Amino acid sequence: MLIYILRRLALMLFVLWGVTLAAFVISHVVPADPAAAALGNNAREQQLQDFRVRNGLDKPMVVQYAVYMERLAQGDLGTSLRTQSGIAADLRQFFPATLELTLVAVVFALIIGLPLGMLAALRHNRPPDLLARIFALVGGATPVYWLAILALNIFHERLGWLPGPGRIDAYSLAPPVHSGLVTVDALLAHDGEVFVDALRHLILPGLVLGAFSAALLTRMTRSAMLEVLGQDYIRTARSKGLNGQRVIWKHALRNAALPILTVLGSLFGSLLTGAVLTETIFSWPGIGSYATSSAVSLDFPAVMGVTLVAGLAYSLVNLLVDLLYVTLDPRISFS
Amino acid sequence: MKRLIPASGSVRPSRLAGRLLAAALALSLPMAAAESARQSTLVIGGDFSDLITLDPGVSYEFTGSLITGNLYDTLVGFEGNDLSKVRPRLASSWKVTPTATGSQITFTLRPATFSTGRPVTSADVVYSMNRVISLKTPSSFLLTDVANLKVGSVTAPNPTTVVFNIPKTANPNIVLALLTFNVGGIIDSTEAKAHEQNGDFGSAWLRDHSAGSGPFVLNRWDRSAQVALDANPKAFRRSINIKRVILRYMLESSAQQTALNSGEIDVAWDYTPDAFKAAQSNPKLKALKTSTFQMAYLGMNSAKGSPFEDPRVREAVRYAIDQDGIIKSLLQGLGRKVQTIIPLGLAGSNTATPYAYDPAKAKALLAAAGKPNGFDVDFLVSTGSCSGGVPCQDLAAKVQSDLAKVGIRANIKQMVNAELLTTYRAQKAPLIQVAWSPDYPDADGNGTPLADYNAHSLAWRNSWNNAQASKLAQSAAVEVDQSKRVALYKQLTELMVKEGPYAILYQPYKPVVASASVLGFVRNANGDVQFEKISKK
Repeated sequence: MLIYILRRLALMLFVLWGVTLAAFVISHVVPADPAAAALGNNAREQQLQDFRVRNGLDKPMVVQYAVYMERLAQGDLGTSLRTQSGIAADLRQFFPATLELTLVAVVFALIIGLPLGMLAALRHNRPPDLLARIFALVGGATPVYWLAILALNIFHERLGWLPGPGRIDAYSLAPPVHSGLVTVDALLAHDGEVFVDALRHLILPGLVLGAFSAALLTRMTRSAMLEVLGQDYIRTARSKGLNGQRVIWKHALRNAALPILTVLGSLFGSLLTGAVLTETIFSWPGIGSYATSSAVSLDFPAVMGVTLVAGLAYSLVNLLVDLLYVTLDPRISFS
Repeated sequence: MKRLIPASGSVRPSRLAGRLLAAALALSLPMAAAESARQSTLVIGGDFSDLITLDPGVSYEFTGSLITGNLYDTLVGFEGNDLSKVRPRLASSWKVTPTATGSQITFTLRPATFSTGRPVTSADVVYSMNRVISLKTPSSFLLTDVANLKVGSVTAPNPTTVVFNIPKTANPNIVLALLTFNVGGIIDSTEAKAHEQNGDFGSAWLRDHSAGSGPFVLNRWDRSAQVALDANPKAFRRSINIKRVILRYMLESSAQQTALNSGEIDVAWDYTPDAFKAAQSNPKLKALKTSTFQMAYLGMNSAKGSPFEDPRVREAVRYAIDQDGIIKSLLQGLGRKVQTIIPLGLAGSNTATPYAYDPAKAKALLAAAGKPNGFDVDFLVSTGSCSGGVPCQDLAAKVQSDLAKVGIRANIKQMVNAELLTTYRAQKAPLIQVAWSPDYPDADGNGTPLADYNAHSLAWRNSWNNAQASKLAQSAAVEVDQSKRVALYKQLTELMVKEGPYAILYQPYKPVVASASVLGFVRNANGDVQFEKISKK
């Protein structure tokens, strides 16, 4: 088991190296000058030249990549061209906001998708099933930005039930930063008001971001459950006189869990990186916003930092999912 | 603010969570406490993503200037909307005297205190100027290249007197104008020195801390989320009734509209022309057309062999553009019709509009230039939003259709701004749609870059070299006599409007929408807002 994990981690290093190379090449073939982007329309030629020299942009691409890799090996993600601050520090600041949002989205996806999928399977071809199928179809096909604007308009602007963009109320100050998760920091600061406020601010963007995943999860749960419910051992279990609930939860769901888990794992990864639109519309200061603003201003080192962190998160979640397989299904073993 | 949980720390986490959950279900905030905080807090929603530092000597972007203008005092400043006259700020008075080598400005400081409690002295002024010069920040060139200052040019004969020694090559009036910009912000030198790392003059620390004497101090900057300022009780420009100002990042105009309508923010910084039009008829809102010194223009590359080499072709373009149509329909009135190169509102601007919309005349000029059938040209356009809040591609489509009517087939090439700039800087933009705003509120901020090829700026980028224009721009820049100076700019603008490589499209207004309860909100053409003059009813 331990050897398996170590092997996976070693493999992950290779994947991440590939990611840096791809990101580096892609970001350096853009036919534009990052110095001009950073210093703006009115900058003088001398300023631009100074900037390029200071940031090593005057060197050949191979040298720049070598320098980048050398620093990376020492755990240094480099300096942002736009803000001239350390990228590792930037990511530490922006990542928690995305993580908090993603976790909430996953929870929403789970509490909507899982029961709905199960219900659909149990009431196969009856109204609940039809409803679930419609949800899966619509939820999976609706563009997230449209859903975001719609949700804001209805639940915030018209009905006034939920707060609008941002992580907390505009008139209050965020608690001192410890974890970067506003809810947790509010608890640490014993600030109940801000905690409640932060929770309420998470609902709309969490639902919007989680909607696509909920739809996908509904479909996966439904089909996995349908398949399992049709198996012989379920019929056997039922004929033995076991009660319905026990069959469903103990036998059916457990066996349907693997495909569901697989989907959930990849969803988490895509949520983490796919938060760009949701973050923009909800003025959410996460890595999605950071990536967008960095990309627009040709801030290559920052874009590469985001890519690397997203790659890392994705790989780690995948590993975690694979490890969970073993606990869920004793037949699978890595040794 | 009232808290739900006592800050004793005696409540165990699990029970705490339970109670909080109950509170969450109730979803009720203590309204009275929140209400009074709301009264004294001003929240501005906008796209503040250009903010990269709050160090007044380093910041060069709009948001940075907006905020540092409220954290720091400059020696001289502008009051409200009037940008024609420099007024006292930290300096209670000043005197310009000619010297053998140029001129000298002697400032007398008023008694003032930094937010740290230390008095503002002439040594702080000398430190702040030398700091910008030594740091080589994006705005250093204002002091080194435009004002021609060096370390040692600014001296402090006594604690309340500061002397600027300016060589003949610089104009003391321009120096005064650029000292109003945040590059002239005065920093508490003791504080900055205390936080210095590796000879950075405290720059890393000042990125997200403040040490000024302005009406506000920095509470906190949560990057990409919000900037919170608190009123500075020690300031001489004291805030009337606003105790806290929060600038909240809201990139989308639609998000700002939503938040303004629901009372979540008091001021929305970026509205689209369409949304602004709707806001004008809403009694709960104040729709402010705030002026700018920006100019949206078409740059025509006049290099040898290019169709724009012939001045008649450039004139044809100016006749072919339907400026009124652009301003009325695309901008919904959020722009002024300008055709000369100095923006309205600056001494030296020229209100003449000699080019009426006249496609027939444009065709005739093209025919006279040997191009009766027009020509094809690549038209470079930025993605995103252009001056006045109009999408760049909509503006480009209108320009394209206007040009098509006279036979000029403009082939639109959209690219991100950074790429557009790179191409433009390399003199490789045949026809380009961009905007310019002066670095400091003085006609020279446009005169030199737009007219003088040797300045290696816009005239150069458009490959347009005219000796007479260069000479006029240079003499106007150093002319100290105001009436002579205005006369020189009249000559320059008249020459440029006839010969220059530009077709000015409009001078935009920046639409800002505030809740009707906000009083005293003024945004001047520089983009500055004096937060201390704002109140809420």
